[in-house]
Amino acid sequence: MKVKKSGGAAAAAARTEEELGRKALIGPDDVLGLQRVTSDYLCTPEENVYKIDFTRFKIRDMESGTVLFEITKPAASEREHNDRKEVDPNAGRFVRYQFTPAFLRLRQVGATVEFTVGDKPINNFRMIERHYFRDQLLKSFDFEFGFCIPSSKNTCEHIYEFPQLSEDLIREMILHPYETQSDSFYFVDNKLVMHNKADYSYSGGP
Amino acid sequence: MGLLTILKKLREKERELRLLVLGLDNAGKTTLLKRLNGEDVGGTSPTLGFNIKTLEHRGFRLHLWDVGGQRSLRSYWRNYFESTDALLWVVDSSDRQRLRLCATELRALLREERLAGAALLVFANKQDLPGALPAADIREALELDSIRSHRWRLQGCSAFTGRDLLPGLDWLLDELGARLCPPD
Repeated sequence: MKVKKSGGAAAAAARTEEELGRKALIGPDDVLGLQRVTSDYLCTPEENVYKIDFTRFKIRDMESGTVLFEITKPAASEREHNDRKEVDPNAGRFVRYQFTPAFLRLRQVGATVEFTVGDKPINNFRMIERHYFRDQLLKSFDFEFGFCIPSSKNTCEHIYEFPQLSEDLIREMILHPYETQSDSFYFVDNKLVMHNKADYSYSGGP
Repeated sequence: MGLLTILKKLREKERELRLLVLGLDNAGKTTLLKRLNGEDVGGTSPTLGFNIKTLEHRGFRLHLWDVGGQRSLRSYWRNYFESTDALLWVVDSSDRQRLRLCATELRALLREERLAGAALLVFANKQDLPGALPAADIREALELDSIRSHRWRLQGCSAFTGRDLLPGLDWLLDELGARLCPPD
């Protein structure tokens, strides 16, 4: 297993979304070279052939032990029964987070994801998550899960020091809700199979 | 990138440790992980895959991998051996009936080539239960004294109450730390 973290300086060669749009196969190095959030999804929901499904996200403050945020969704099989008329095919791929300004001053947080996989084994599962405010990369997280057992339910909690942001940046991020955005890219055997997006407000209300 | 930066990066990489947490089902692996992280240990259900925790401790970045211990899942354990620095073998000290099976499964792991360099920490868990065998009995049942292939330690503990988890982990980090940075 490899865990690679890069700060502001990108280790991979710079890439633009337009360049990637022309590629048949998008790999980890491609998205590590992106300089800003993408305007569109880099793969279709149908490319998720291993049926990877994220069922829970949780963020807790390690200092106080409080859960700051938790969202669960029913398994895909249950969801299909409920909404026969699928409105937006991207609905499951986008999350909007609303936090208070205090969130930006946390010191240590634990971020948990829970996911299920379909009935095929996955040899090499890797996620790369990139967070930006406008065109500035705040954090790039790269984690290799490796093997996933068929029909398994798995969790991963990453406990980390919150990036230290300047006062100016914090002020800007609070003043401009949803201009903090992230791309989550998921790869199986180095091929992009899933792309989720999120945006964030820290102004304390919808 | 200067040479010093490269050396620093190498060092950071070296201080990452992969700890594989295995044991029979219901041994308390997930509870142990949760307790180490100050999480609520109530309502833990059987692991049908893996639970990973990555955290900083004593200047190391630890990656703890807890893989489900049910019989149908044990054949998948081998997929998680690669690059493992230490094996944490968790034993339900109150499960007398399956102690022999527990010993057999541990022996099989110690024969694995890809775990050859790993340190072994055995947690004799559930010492808070009235029916639990003392750690000395677990040591005998698992024939730990005959292990020559791995550096090992036995630690009685209760993942549920948190008792004596840290001494085990501290031994492990001393052991692994000495390997990473031999004294000058």
